[in-house]
Amino acid sequence: MTEYFGVKVTDIFDSMAERFRSEGARGVSRSFGYEIKDHGKWKLTIADGKMQLAQVDQLTGCDVTVSMDGKTFVGLNVGKVDGMEAFTSRKLTVKGDFALFGQTSRFFTKFILPGEKITQEQELLVLKRTISVNQRFATGPVMGKFLKALKEKQILAIKCPVCGRLQSPPREVCAICRVKNTEWVPIGPKGEMRMLEYCYYASPAPLTGETRETPYGAIGVLLDGCKDEEVFWHLLRPDQLNKVKMGIVLGDKVVHGTRLRPVWAEERTGSIDDIKYFEIDE
Amino acid sequence: MGNRKKNRNVGIVGIGETKFSSHREDVNQPEMIHEAVRQALDDAGLTMDDIDCVVHGNMELFEMVHQPDMWHTLGTGAFGKNAFRLTTGGTTGGTLVAAADNLVASGMYDTVLAIGFEKLQEGHTTGGITNMADPLWARKLQSGALTDSAAVKVIAEFGGDRARRAAMMYRIIMDKHACLNPNSHRAFGLEWDQLEDLMKNSPPLIGDLRLIHMCSQSDGACAMIFSAEEKAKKISKNPVWIRDHITVHREETLNLCNNYYPNETTHRFAAETLYKRNGIENPLEYFDVFEMYDPSAWWGLDWIRDFFLLSGDEHIRLVEEKEIMINGKIPINPSGGVIAANPIGATAMIRVAEAAKQVRGDAGPHQIPRPVKHAMASSFGGTMWTVLFLLEKELNWQGGKHD
Amino acid sequence: MKPGFDTTDCYTIEGKLALPYTYFAGRVGSTFITTLRDKQKIMGVKCKRCNKVFVPPRQTCERCMEDIRNNWVDLKSGGEVVNFTVVRYDDRHLPRKAPFVLGMIRLEGADSPMVHILEGVDPDQVKIGMKVKAVFSPKTTNTILDIDHFEPNV
Repeated sequence: MTEYFGVKVTDIFDSMAERFRSEGARGVSRSFGYEIKDHGKWKLTIADGKMQLAQVDQLTGCDVTVSMDGKTFVGLNVGKVDGMEAFTSRKLTVKGDFALFGQTSRFFTKFILPGEKITQEQELLVLKRTISVNQRFATGPVMGKFLKALKEKQILAIKCPVCGRLQSPPREVCAICRVKNTEWVPIGPKGEMRMLEYCYYASPAPLTGETRETPYGAIGVLLDGCKDEEVFWHLLRPDQLNKVKMGIVLGDKVVHGTRLRPVWAEERTGSIDDIKYFEIDE
Repeated sequence: MGNRKKNRNVGIVGIGETKFSSHREDVNQPEMIHEAVRQALDDAGLTMDDIDCVVHGNMELFEMVHQPDMWHTLGTGAFGKNAFRLTTGGTTGGTLVAAADNLVASGMYDTVLAIGFEKLQEGHTTGGITNMADPLWARKLQSGALTDSAAVKVIAEFGGDRARRAAMMYRIIMDKHACLNPNSHRAFGLEWDQLEDLMKNSPPLIGDLRLIHMCSQSDGACAMIFSAEEKAKKISKNPVWIRDHITVHREETLNLCNNYYPNETTHRFAAETLYKRNGIENPLEYFDVFEMYDPSAWWGLDWIRDFFLLSGDEHIRLVEEKEIMINGKIPINPSGGVIAANPIGATAMIRVAEAAKQVRGDAGPHQIPRPVKHAMASSFGGTMWTVLFLLEKELNWQGGKHD
Repeated sequence: MKPGFDTTDCYTIEGKLALPYTYFAGRVGSTFITTLRDKQKIMGVKCKRCNKVFVPPRQTCERCMEDIRNNWVDLKSGGEVVNFTVVRYDDRHLPRKAPFVLGMIRLEGADSPMVHILEGVDPDQVKIGMKVKAVFSPKTTNTILDIDHFEPNV
């Protein structure tokens, strides 16, 4: 059998039972498939704080299955290969619940290389905190007027007296012309889709620090009455993510995007949440 | 643009970079910074006694430590010295260099130490960036620095297949460079035959922006020492001269397509202005290396056109023909660039440091295999801002019309 | 505010900034805290060149930049108050209910004072020069609060 870093693939699997930490597997009831290229397939089942491992011909009924070659598998277990790097470069592929696969390291103690000195590595302290600071923001007269209008289901833009561009949400000045904006113009509320950020990656919501639900769509809507890049930034109805088309202007060529309309919240307080999201207008 | 006439020339005389990695449990922030400071001092053959002023920078929200410059005195050596702190988003490292250059050129200080750092593992980068947005509107909508907008634009102009292929080629080129650089955080060893597979299978983040395209979140620090001409020549055998630099801001903007308006990017505006006032007519011929702040392969690909004032598909062809590789016509990011390592507050400074090392000829395994005399380094950050530097090996440049 | 400034449309919106953070103490900081926790012993580091003992410990001497990470010295858990303040307001970020005393305490054998909570003395009776000693916490948090507080050393 081929050795990688002085270790065989079977060494890792064979030692799993003695490296098993039942305290790390408490409350977990799942099965994991390992498909090691040119070496075989193994199914690991964790339930009731116990483990079962079997070499199998076919992997069925696994909550998550990982595939990689022998070198990557051994490298991961002896700390010579970085998991994220292996994943990003597709040396390791995951089918099923990726987060679940990430838990497996909790179930076992580290594999010790033959002849490796077991030294007590210094305990390095890590402090985890979610810092949460209460804030209160002043709208000022310009943003305040715009937000108040949302309560009346109206979207306002402010117009630059020099270049004529519209800004919504509004700004006190046109930063390009360096003049004070004065004139208010109602826009939309319907428009066409110009930009879609189809977000698969979940970032924390600023108000809670909790991860947002994905996928979601942040969109740029060109509201009626606006031109060029005067798009309005909001969210798309989540179940319509795959049903919309972006419009684009490239030189003289104009492609129109899906028509959208705002869905207003029933209780409106004068904030961004007064619009729930935009949905297809049909 | 306003007056940018220098009172005296400024040379880079010392450079220090930590190894960049995903996390550094073994050191706290000042200890990590100190590694770069110590290296820069040793590189220059100086001690802290020779430093007149310390400039320090990062982004507070990434580690949620306010006024870290005070705590970091233990690592920066600023005890009892004049010190400044700066933060300007992704451009922080570039702004630090620009400030150090201004402080020395003006005559305020003879020798200035600039330090940029980030320990992104200690915070939540995307969350931090999102919280920098307008709290009444954009905070709810922004997805950190992740955006699909460059991909949308390049795909619309050049078609999906060519655009996706070129972006992935750019990515593989950067990885090949990263594999040469011992300081890289991420160096995968990607091969050309993985191109199709990566285009299809790398996990998507936003639209056509995939995990493989995007820069890393790194821990690391960079320190540089700047000195006035007369002293610089005494300190260093081969000081690298800062010929000129420019900072271009854009308005705070709520516009999703903000890199269109007003149909010119800050990158192109910065490059045009800088070339004009320095009499550089053909930047592609003039420069021997460009260290670009490329947060993703899509942005990197798109921005080549802006920085070199190219038109049509010239920038795509430079990538397709591998002319941006270390042995190509215009090597871009022989260090591997930002995709290979991104400790944000240090990142833009690393671009200048790497460009300077190329000019000195001691970059290491990723040294360009031919003489490097003229270098350019860019920074990117905020709501699409640019800081751009011109570096020179000799003090003999011609041209330069400052108004 | 300018006279005549129209505040009709001005109001405030409640917000919050909440983000997860992870701090690494590093080797020097971890040694300091784990020794506090496991041996109930306070250690500092000495710069031989400047002849100064720093606590909490640090990797480099802030004065001369010498690497001092291995120059550990054991300190007594007693020292004196070199300065103090009485905290008279309540806030969720603070470690005690007001009023309580935060003292700058210089341990015997150390040159730099460290900040900690001072208990067992009426806030109005605290004096500079007062002798105090550390009281270790029975429960660990892996932070400097493994010393629960300082109290008068009588």
